[in-house]
Amino acid sequence: MASTPTVADIGSDYNRRYGFHDPEEYFMRTPKGLSHEVVEAISLLKKEPEWMREFRHKALDTFFAKLMPTWGDTAMLSEIDFDQITYYVRATEKQETSWDEVPENVKRTFDRLGIPEAERKFLAGVSAQYESEVVYHSVKEELTKQGVIFLDMDSGLREHEEIVRKYFASVIPAADNKFSALNSAVWSGGSFIYVPKNTEVAIPLQAYFRINAERMGQFERTLIIADEGSKVHYIEGCTAPVYSTNSLHSAVVELIAMKGARIRYTTIQNWSNNIYNLVTKRAVAYEDAVVEWVDGNIGSKLTMKYPAVILKGERAHGEVLSIAFAGPGQHQDAGAKMTHLAPNTTSKITSKSISKGTGRSSYRGLVKIRKGAHGCKTSVQCDALLIGDAARTDTYPTMEIAEDQVRVEHEARVSKIGDEQLFYLRSRGIRDDQARLMIVNGFIEPFVKELPMEYAVELNRLIELEMEGSVG
Amino acid sequence: MASRPVVNAPPTVALDHIEELSRVAGEDGTLLAIRNQARACLVPLELPNRARHLWRYTNPARFLPESDPTAVAPIDVGSTWRLDEPLSVAALIAGGALRLVEVDATARKAGVVVEDLHRAPAGDLLGTVVPASHGFLEAINTAAWRGGVLVRIPAGISLEHPIRLRLVAGGLSLPRVLVVAGEDSSFEVIEGHVGGDRGTGKVIGVTEILVGKGADVRYGLVQRWEPGVVGHLTARARVLAGARFQMSLASFGGAAFKADVGAFLAGEGAEVETYGVAMGGDSQHFDHHTEHIHEAGKTHSNLDFKVALTGSARSAYTGMIRIAPGAAGSEAYQENRNLLLSENARAESIPELEILTDDVRCSHGATVSPLDPEQLFYLKSRGLPHLQAMRVIVYGFLDQTLARLPQTTRDRIAALVAARLHTD
Repeated sequence: MASTPTVADIGSDYNRRYGFHDPEEYFMRTPKGLSHEVVEAISLLKKEPEWMREFRHKALDTFFAKLMPTWGDTAMLSEIDFDQITYYVRATEKQETSWDEVPENVKRTFDRLGIPEAERKFLAGVSAQYESEVVYHSVKEELTKQGVIFLDMDSGLREHEEIVRKYFASVIPAADNKFSALNSAVWSGGSFIYVPKNTEVAIPLQAYFRINAERMGQFERTLIIADEGSKVHYIEGCTAPVYSTNSLHSAVVELIAMKGARIRYTTIQNWSNNIYNLVTKRAVAYEDAVVEWVDGNIGSKLTMKYPAVILKGERAHGEVLSIAFAGPGQHQDAGAKMTHLAPNTTSKITSKSISKGTGRSSYRGLVKIRKGAHGCKTSVQCDALLIGDAARTDTYPTMEIAEDQVRVEHEARVSKIGDEQLFYLRSRGIRDDQARLMIVNGFIEPFVKELPMEYAVELNRLIELEMEGSVG
Repeated sequence: MASRPVVNAPPTVALDHIEELSRVAGEDGTLLAIRNQARACLVPLELPNRARHLWRYTNPARFLPESDPTAVAPIDVGSTWRLDEPLSVAALIAGGALRLVEVDATARKAGVVVEDLHRAPAGDLLGTVVPASHGFLEAINTAAWRGGVLVRIPAGISLEHPIRLRLVAGGLSLPRVLVVAGEDSSFEVIEGHVGGDRGTGKVIGVTEILVGKGADVRYGLVQRWEPGVVGHLTARARVLAGARFQMSLASFGGAAFKADVGAFLAGEGAEVETYGVAMGGDSQHFDHHTEHIHEAGKTHSNLDFKVALTGSARSAYTGMIRIAPGAAGSEAYQENRNLLLSENARAESIPELEILTDDVRCSHGATVSPLDPEQLFYLKSRGLPHLQAMRVIVYGFLDQTLARLPQTTRDRIAALVAARLHTD
């Protein structure tokens, strides 16, 4: 009898595959640690309006005043040393307009990630965030013709200050939590999107993010406004080289779906295993609007991310579809929040997780129905797959229901790769490693099929690579 | 957001007469030492963190005694209890003391022991399932409990008739129950909580059950306090290899009631089932927490908890299934269903899973829903008046769970459910 095959760890092999990193060349970086001087320097350098400067300083005070979360993986959280992090680094001096003008070393990094082809074939606009600011940005002509604004957040603030001022921090105030306060104080980069009324953006808008400097945090800020009857799909994907000390990533993403609008936000989070990924993502959905979060968490050391939808208008619909893969040493603490404020709103949460080795994945969710929000329907389904006897999975769902004319359902299942399943496939002549890959692929299938084709291919290839050579 | 307590002066609890209480009750030195250790856990008194699920929906300060529980002397109450059914044991705790014990001839011959816990040689068992470190209320009870009973069933004994414990609330009550089931014993024990005159009373109770190897224990916890009683009950069983423990939970009364119940599946092949119903009306506040902790391999647990609410009643349910590393081959299932019968009723549900090993099968489900209008329509189309149709549906909803209980407990709880349905 051969020894039990094991699955290679997703996210543990970056040195071989993505583990290149370029010598750090920076035109400007703030000193390590956090202070009002650092915040002042960032704001000054970006030549920001006074209200944003004040907003940052106020947020910093909030960050200092707020305590660290007392829930979640407090042991891992306590390892973050805020004084050892550089809060702002800029890679290149000015915004690039075409691919040819992007500096060679930056290009090299993207080449290895396959961005140029992807851009040529699929992308409508690339907002590639190298370090803390956008270095490359192209928006297809038709988008401009449609009146769609797709900029990095800094340019968005410069060119469309009145829109930014109206909606910035309107969904996630700086004081929402300690990490949203941190982001509000030192944010840099991220995407700003405005889709005009009744406009449909046919091709997904994409942005690649990448952390390249040791002990450097990335604090991007994304704001998407879909005006009445419009439709947009935004894709955020990330990968990072391996470093020995911990890095912090703390983004804030705000989505506003006006009456009848539709936003889909897709993330493939694939940070290297030393990164803390503490993200606040929230959407507001007005009457008949639809917001969908498609969220994949493969990398990072600790991810805490609970995409939320506030269903504010009647018949609005919110959806979260997520997968998490926790390899050895990783903790994926992910989940979803649905707040039903208006009648006849509906929501659906589907969460799938795989824990392997000493990996731990947790589903932490909240479904809240306010009094008077009659006719709401919501369902939550969590599936967990465990590989290895040291793997761990948790389910912490919360349901707070203050209205009787509603339907709320929650279900969770935990299992390992079944011996019967393996036996069945083996009896059909399928090798053990292939059988395991098939079972894992089948498990995440509902997620994969919601991805754009090139992402689905990439994810499948990633899973396949990790399952390869898994027979001992 | 859940409401957070307003922090004024730090909470305190006075426990100044422990020695005297212990001496007057005739306790030995071991019990006194356990009390003093528990008191040490309470200095300084720290109330639970309300960010944690266990206390998110209920203010812990509500259960704090207003006076020193060790200073209250036992009150002489008439021990009237009409026993109209065949019982193996009947024991009554009221007014801070064990008042009445009846053991039928068969049980006595079999060696069943029912003792006043204050005078029983139980120092090596007390606090082994629910230690003072469990929580601040368990520590208060361990330091200041008054009125307790020890029930010990010898190995290999099967009792045909149930053991009935009745605990009467009145003023401030801190009862303590210890049940020791010998190897391969088999019996049913029902702990009934009643009383609370003039709509007042505060109860902090702790029950510990040791289920020996291969034993089969059916335990019922039935709470039907008068309106106005505020109480917290903790019950835990430690279930050894090959043993089976079934808990039936039925909650009806009181103004505010929090129950923290569960079992440790401590030996291979242990089986635990928890079935519960709660019916709340008016402005009642229920908060139930269940725990199935799988410590050993090849253990099996199942939980089904149903809540029906009318008026502006509120229920919070938090359930934890934890499968420890090394508890391979375990299975655990958990289900919580809530029926909201009025527009002001409110339910919270947090069924949690913590699985630390891979060779398991686990699932849980929770729902909150109103009366099904189709069912209602169907029954009304058959000529049933609205109220009657509603009762049929609610009874049907709860009966799915009651059907799994042992017959005697089932009959009793079903009668209480029916009575409750006809008063609301």
